[in-house]
Amino acid sequence: MAKMSKKWAVLCSTAIAAVYAAGYFTTETQASVQPPQQIQANSQASDAASNGDSTDSGTTNAQPTQQMQVNTQGSDSTSTGVSAISSTTNVQPAQEENKQASGGTAKRTSAKSSTSTAKPAQQSQVNPTNANASQSKGTPVPTSNNKTNSRYKDGTFTGMGSNRRGSIQVTVSIKSDKITDVEISDFGMHYSERDVEGLPQEVLQKQSASVQNVSGATYSTRAFEDAVRDALSQAANNA
Amino acid sequence: MRRAKLYMDTVVDIQVVLGKGQTEEEAEAGIQQAFEAFRRVEDACSRFSPDSELMKACRHIQTPVPVSPLIYEPLKFAMEMAEWTDGLFDPTVGKVMEEYGFNRHYLTGEYLDSASSSADSVTFRDIELNERDRTLYLRKPLVIDLGAVAKGFAIDLAANALQEFAGFVVNAGGDLFAGGVNECGDPWKIGIQHPLQKDEIIHTVTISGEAICTSGSYERPSPKAEGMHHVINPKTKKSPNDWISCSVIAPFAMMADAFSTAAFLLGADSGERLIEEAELQGVLISSDLQIVTIGGI
Repeated sequence: MAKMSKKWAVLCSTAIAAVYAAGYFTTETQASVQPPQQIQANSQASDAASNGDSTDSGTTNAQPTQQMQVNTQGSDSTSTGVSAISSTTNVQPAQEENKQASGGTAKRTSAKSSTSTAKPAQQSQVNPTNANASQSKGTPVPTSNNKTNSRYKDGTFTGMGSNRRGSIQVTVSIKSDKITDVEISDFGMHYSERDVEGLPQEVLQKQSASVQNVSGATYSTRAFEDAVRDALSQAANNA
Repeated sequence: MRRAKLYMDTVVDIQVVLGKGQTEEEAEAGIQQAFEAFRRVEDACSRFSPDSELMKACRHIQTPVPVSPLIYEPLKFAMEMAEWTDGLFDPTVGKVMEEYGFNRHYLTGEYLDSASSSADSVTFRDIELNERDRTLYLRKPLVIDLGAVAKGFAIDLAANALQEFAGFVVNAGGDLFAGGVNECGDPWKIGIQHPLQKDEIIHTVTISGEAICTSGSYERPSPKAEGMHHVINPKTKKSPNDWISCSVIAPFAMMADAFSTAAFLLGADSGERLIEEAELQGVLISSDLQIVTIGGI
């Protein structure tokens, strides 16, 4: 039995090694090792990535080129995978998102002006494949953005919402009509009650969900939707 | 220091404890790298984005598709678990999940309906992985769901980026890896959430250098069918309900993630045995709130 249980651990460590061997995180590691040039290195990496990353092929960094090229060829026979998307999926069109954003849900608190809390670190992350409906027209996304075609402006936008714990603030980063980052910007409000020393045991036990780390079935981000939508509504190109 | 971002439809909360000589800049860089792991895994493995690497790959039937390790490795793990549980745990359950309403992108709100139909019966045996060529081959149209392994995998990659620090926790909405020690220099105390009383802890464990993942029926009900939630038995197409919560502690989060899901699917007795035989620790809570602990915790 002991041998059996080891196999799972071996599979896991091999998996991690395989990802690192393919060079997925090397760039960042090297960048972070040299403190003075750190920020530069990051932004270089992000510039390189953003230039190259116009289509939905999923390639981001220059680094693991071999692996990535193989992917592009294999996983999608044409570079305009967009047309494949529109034929096989039933993605709700962009209009739905816009309607909600501009119409305004009752709960939303007053919108803050955009780009006020831009954090450079976030913009270095380029591009997952979210929020793609605008590309279903079949044309590849242009590299230089912020033209009338794009649904959203590039940049970081703050949004407010509320959940059962109180108000939430998120900072959404957008590039080329894709959400690249969603940070909970007022994290301290809900999740760190550092001043718990001295509280009686019972109170501690009750509050422990908010002070300790808790393992539970992963709760969804539904509570953040208002805040995210609020941020998106400010990013929207209201043409 | 502590930061939180949204990935994979959950809050990913990362905290770092600095050791002697370790700076906040280093922690910042490490945390960014850790978040990067989530971004990469989500981009590759998302079942909700039509152009994730996974969903693109699934559109090719009966042809080998080269895939990146971000897909290959968690899928391979899922396949092993499918084999181990004789198909009760099965990554080809994706289309069934879509039909039960688990097909909405958490950020864009967009819905995705894949071309295949769950009326065609598919199993993990309709997937072939070629170890040498690192390719994926689908015998039939199907949708792969990596929901039981991808998050754990991202956690492991993120943890890997933070190993140098005196302590850290990567907590993805309740599935977490706790490394080193907390600010007091002690192993991390982790509370297992009470399945029904959300703000309460039903059991506490202490870990260091380990992951704990919890599968539960109480957080993600099906928007389309009552009594159904996001863990679905691929053979019966129903959600199991012997357990209401299964937590497993393991040296890796991908392992804890898969085992907690598998134990949930296997139900009473078999679920316990699965964890025991793997020599892991766990806390299983039945629907009537009986707590079973495994491995002496």
